[in-house]
Amino acid sequence: MENSSSQVPVTVLTGFLGAGKTTLLNRILTEQHGRRYAVIVNEFGEQGIDNDLVVDADEEVFEMNNGCICCTVRGDLIRILGGLMKRADQLDAIIVETTGLADPAPVAQTFFVDQDVADRTKLDAIVTVADAVHLSTQLGEHHEAEEQIAFADVVLLNKIDLVDQSQIIGVKDRIRKINPYTKIIETNRCAAPLDEVLGLNAFSLDRVLEVEPDFLDSDHDHEHDDDVTSVSFVSDTPLDLEKFEKWFGNLLQTHGQNILRSKGILDFKNEKDRYVFQGVHMLMDASPMGPWPEKSIRNSRVVFIGRKLETMNLKEGFESCKSD
Amino acid sequence: MNNESVIKSRFEENGKVFETGAPVTGAVSIENAVAVGFGDGSIRFFWPDNDPLEVQAHSGAILSIASSNDGVITGGQDGRFLKISTNAEVEEIYNFGTRWVDNVAAYESMVLCSSGKNVYIWSDENDKPKILEHQSTIGGIAIDQNGRRIAVSCYGGVTLWRLEKNKWKSSKFAWKGSHGKVGFSPDGKYLVTTMQENELHAWRIRDKASFAMSGYPSKVKSFTWAGDNPYLVTAGAKEAICWPFDGKEGPKGRKPLCIASGGQQNATFVESLPGEKAVFAGFRNGMVLLSELSEHPNDVLIQNPTGSEVSNISISPDRSHILVGDSKGQILWSPLWEQ
Repeated sequence: MENSSSQVPVTVLTGFLGAGKTTLLNRILTEQHGRRYAVIVNEFGEQGIDNDLVVDADEEVFEMNNGCICCTVRGDLIRILGGLMKRADQLDAIIVETTGLADPAPVAQTFFVDQDVADRTKLDAIVTVADAVHLSTQLGEHHEAEEQIAFADVVLLNKIDLVDQSQIIGVKDRIRKINPYTKIIETNRCAAPLDEVLGLNAFSLDRVLEVEPDFLDSDHDHEHDDDVTSVSFVSDTPLDLEKFEKWFGNLLQTHGQNILRSKGILDFKNEKDRYVFQGVHMLMDASPMGPWPEKSIRNSRVVFIGRKLETMNLKEGFESCKSD
Repeated sequence: MNNESVIKSRFEENGKVFETGAPVTGAVSIENAVAVGFGDGSIRFFWPDNDPLEVQAHSGAILSIASSNDGVITGGQDGRFLKISTNAEVEEIYNFGTRWVDNVAAYESMVLCSSGKNVYIWSDENDKPKILEHQSTIGGIAIDQNGRRIAVSCYGGVTLWRLEKNKWKSSKFAWKGSHGKVGFSPDGKYLVTTMQENELHAWRIRDKASFAMSGYPSKVKSFTWAGDNPYLVTAGAKEAICWPFDGKEGPKGRKPLCIASGGQQNATFVESLPGEKAVFAGFRNGMVLLSELSEHPNDVLIQNPTGSEVSNISISPDRSHILVGDSKGQILWSPLWEQ
């Protein structure tokens, strides 16, 4: 019912303490961008310069009573986004800063679960600021650092002036192993153009169509059980809709906690349209996206980012959805 | 909806329409006026006989409004807690800086507000507020009919504070989940909250027996009490859902009355007509109906769809006028009875 132009885009800014989130926020608040932003911060304590609006919040993660065991949302976001939508002035975008140790999933899930939030705002992208010097160590020590990379649509790889070229290659490899779809921007002092960070529309279903990752082979080096990895599969044989729904529904119910993000473009037998989906843990958004373009290859592509993916028989499950 | 074939209701024919351009965020009765709070921080007083008076009070939206002894009190996104008299005098009770003032309430000369996880109470004797702390950001506050109990909802349930020997003592009414608005039943025996899920929760205060009222297709954003039983009248569905709170067990195991069934969309605001067994229901498309509290109700059209969600319905203290406000800032102010 609401059209997308009336929904205010929301950018989620994550990253470990010291990576440079505040530097980026300061840039957003001080640069002459001619737009009106609201910035939701934790303990920032500064006023917006220009004409931006700064709102203080505490991260409050709430469990939902909807039978979905991993379904948590950000209660403070529901309250504040609802409040911002009552204002008479129009906001061009909203930026949400999370604390260094935050799990991005509850933020993303808020946009799937709360109808008022989904009607009036849309999740634009998750942007993670990473410290090129310390990211490798942080990934080994903190679950949250892996999650922040796994959820990122954009990684701002910051402080690259402090590392040499081989270290940059190493840390980028590490990021790609967790999340091959994220866009990596190398920066110093977060000096990326703001239009590469804001207004990306990364959570819109039609953006899934544009994603053409380098498909990885699944037999990369053995990782620790708790490491976040990704796998992807392609099928040139059309899939059977019923079989897919059954397998995928069951998969999310059983393993949703360990599947951080999923995306796919699907070619179903006897269906004219392309089907596109994307999910966060157990929650999923899916829709037909019009007929296949004439010159494009009709095939099905799915990708999973998560933990313990090797225990889920993903390849066999996906293969079993092929139509006879 | 600029459809010329739409037949205007008597209320639209006889009333005045104001386009304020700012969302209506709340309204309350004060003296002989209805005071309305807006998303641009202004307050407007509507009187039966005079033109409305506009007062610029907050910068940013007004989040909550209540009436006190000598003016309306408001909480805003500018962190200010204000008292505004009907002759437009603005007094700052407190300034919370960058923290929003989410909820306000008053009883006689006692005024309170919530900001973040705390409730702040000002009563006659003290200039300094008494602070009541809670575990998470407060969703709603309510004062009972005697001013002796304060209900505060947040994540995990309601805290009921009682004034005993000049001290506020707390008692917890727990229920998993995030609770929003809270209210006492008119007899003071029940507590009711709206929830993040599409349902309401209620407790009998005496023994903390609790129950859910569920089955709504959308979030319940508004409730009120109507009739002698009384009924708890709720928004959130395509009809106004009215739960009977008479008898020992209230609505437990009983079916609600469903009235005001002419709306095509979910109700977003409900209000009772004081002294009558009747309820106003405002819908997501801007339509407003008046309906009887009965098994086979008659509906009266108050307002045709405007295209914007009804965010407030208020009756003037002398019951002569009705005010309907929507989320785009349109106000209908109309005589309630045939002239």
